[in-house]
Amino acid sequence: MSTAVAIPTISVQQAITIAETDALPMYGAEWLNKLMLEVTLHDDGWHIEYRQWRPRHTGGGPHYVIDATTGVIVSKKYYQ
Amino acid sequence: MNAEAPTAAELEQHSVVQAAFAAAWADSLSDDPVQRHEEGGYIYVNTITGDVIVRRVPPEGRDSLDLSVPPQLPDCFLVAIYHTHPNPIASGLDPEPSPDDRREAADSGVPWFVISELGVYAIGPDRRIGGLSGPPGYPG
Repeated sequence: MSTAVAIPTISVQQAITIAETDALPMYGAEWLNKLMLEVTLHDDGWHIEYRQWRPRHTGGGPHYVIDATTGVIVSKKYYQ
Repeated sequence: MNAEAPTAAELEQHSVVQAAFAAAWADSLSDDPVQRHEEGGYIYVNTITGDVIVRRVPPEGRDSLDLSVPPQLPDCFLVAIYHTHPNPIASGLDPEPSPDDRREAADSGVPWFVISELGVYAIGPDRRIGGLSGPPGYPG
């Protein structure tokens, strides 16, 4: 028996744009541009995580789950 | 046999560390929405005297600190690092350690303290991995 995997109607670029639009007022472009963007598709949607990539540096960024069919932000957390 | 480093719980009770946490929090200006920023530094133990020594790092900005190059102090080993999360819950930001903090703390080999309006969080190993031996900075 095979399992059907839903094809997302929200593209990865659209999901990133949704996250970025939400994140910019909180963090600003200068800070977001210093972070690494990690994007993965899960059963509950796109996981978009701005992450610190420099070893032994503090400072985090926002993490989102975005519905892959509606584009709605399912959850978000503003890390610092 | 290597001497064991103090645990995070022991360090958190030490007067020098408590004073450092209080100073870092005060200097973070958490009540000022424009000037609030992260502060922090390194915590050492002197293997000869047993003294606990703290060294601050210069602030970089609201959300970041470079804790990658602990200065070498004579007869001292790095046993922990600390930094503040000055942005209050009311600002929308999470005061708890971030997933990046937790990953870096686990990887660094020393406890990390995060100071926020909710208190002090200790993350990472319970104490410096490998005891007071090896490289004087990060153990691995």
